Amino acid sequence: MTVDPACRDGDAVPPPGPGRVTGWSQWSQRRGLERRLHDGAALRVSALALRLGLVRCRLPEDDVELHAAVDGMQDELHAVLQELRGIAAALYPPLLDEAGLGPALREEADRRGVGVTLDVPDNRFGATAEGAAYFAVAASLAARPAGRITVAAHRDGADLLLRVHGVPRAHAAHFREGAEPLGGSVGVGGGDPVTITARFPCG
Amino acid sequence: MRVALAEDGALFREGLQMLLRAAGHEVVGCAAGGDELVAMLTGVHADVAVLDIRMPPEPDGGLVTAERLRALYPSMGLLFLSHYAESHYLMRILDIGTDAIGYRLKEKVGSVEVLTDTLDRIHDGEIVIEPVLAKRLVERPRGDRRNALGVLTERELDVLRVMAEGRSNTGIAAQLYVTPKAVEKHIANIFGKLGLTTETTQQHRRVLAVLTYLRSQDAG
Repeated sequence: MTVDPACRDGDAVPPPGPGRVTGWSQWSQRRGLERRLHDGAALRVSALALRLGLVRCRLPEDDVELHAAVDGMQDELHAVLQELRGIAAALYPPLLDEAGLGPALREEADRRGVGVTLDVPDNRFGATAEGAAYFAVAASLAARPAGRITVAAHRDGADLLLRVHGVPRAHAAHFREGAEPLGGSVGVGGGDPVTITARFPCG
Repeated sequence: MRVALAEDGALFREGLQMLLRAAGHEVVGCAAGGDELVAMLTGVHADVAVLDIRMPPEPDGGLVTAERLRALYPSMGLLFLSHYAESHYLMRILDIGTDAIGYRLKEKVGSVEVLTDTLDRIHDGEIVIEPVLAKRLVERPRGDRRNALGVLTERELDVLRVMAEGRSNTGIAAQLYVTPKAVEKHIANIFGKLGLTTETTQQHRRVLAVLTYLRSQDAG
């Protein structure tokens, strides 16, 4: 799918996700939306918090009510930004964009409180393979499987090869959803929990 | 205080400049990127440099700029402002330096008092960590550390959380409405229960010990 010029300019942003945008373009589009939030709305709201701070320091010191009102507005702006951060994480985690698969999965596992052993190199695999692989593993982590999960990644030819050990057999579906639209493949081995081997073409 | 700042978002850069001036600080350099700021600071003294993490040189120009500034001017304080508070970046920041350094969310330095308190603490050599992040680290420590923290009392967890923000004993006491002596006792208990030792009473070393503990995997 090509980017609708209207989306770039502003108003109607189609929700990315299964069924709407699939295949190669969705991941770079998602990353683009996250960057737009960071450089646009989030920056404006942060700047607004500073401007409110300027207003506050010009208020008469004894006007307790007005001071409290400005504090309340700044707290509200923080809450708005936290919501935008949540949306950004669901689109394309900024840490995945900036630091890659290893740091992003580490942060997500900590957030979920799931024990994960990661063997992921620092080298990068491109926005598409990294996005698809990240969200497949994240879906597995969200189910908080019992026991320790091992995630190993490396480049194999033109593919990102992901090996995930210690998840229920049913989780293979997450990996198929991520890999197959890219022309990748998924293999499942062992009993239950299983070892999933997923191939994500790096493009 | 003499403050230099680099931030690529014009709106935020302007706002921060105005707030710094309103707080009585002198802005001795203001740039849209790290390289520009380093050039600007040749022959110009700054007490603290305020840096956006995600700015030119891309992708995380704030970090490389901080490394250069720390090498050139070891006594210059460094304050990172970011839209995201991530432990990944906290660890990278602490790799650059463990004194006179801070990491805060952009919207959280929006008052003269907080901004000045943050800059003062950094100028005094302390570590300053965004409370939102410190709270997350204490509430969701890595792996098996979770069970280890289970032995702490509610009060000790409160102390640990404020301590992870980089607050001194007096700072912790003021925030929790207890005496500094009580704080000392709580901290001794926390360190004892977690099996942590610090050879030094230096406050920023102690903060570092706690942060490292929260982010490390339990070997046992």
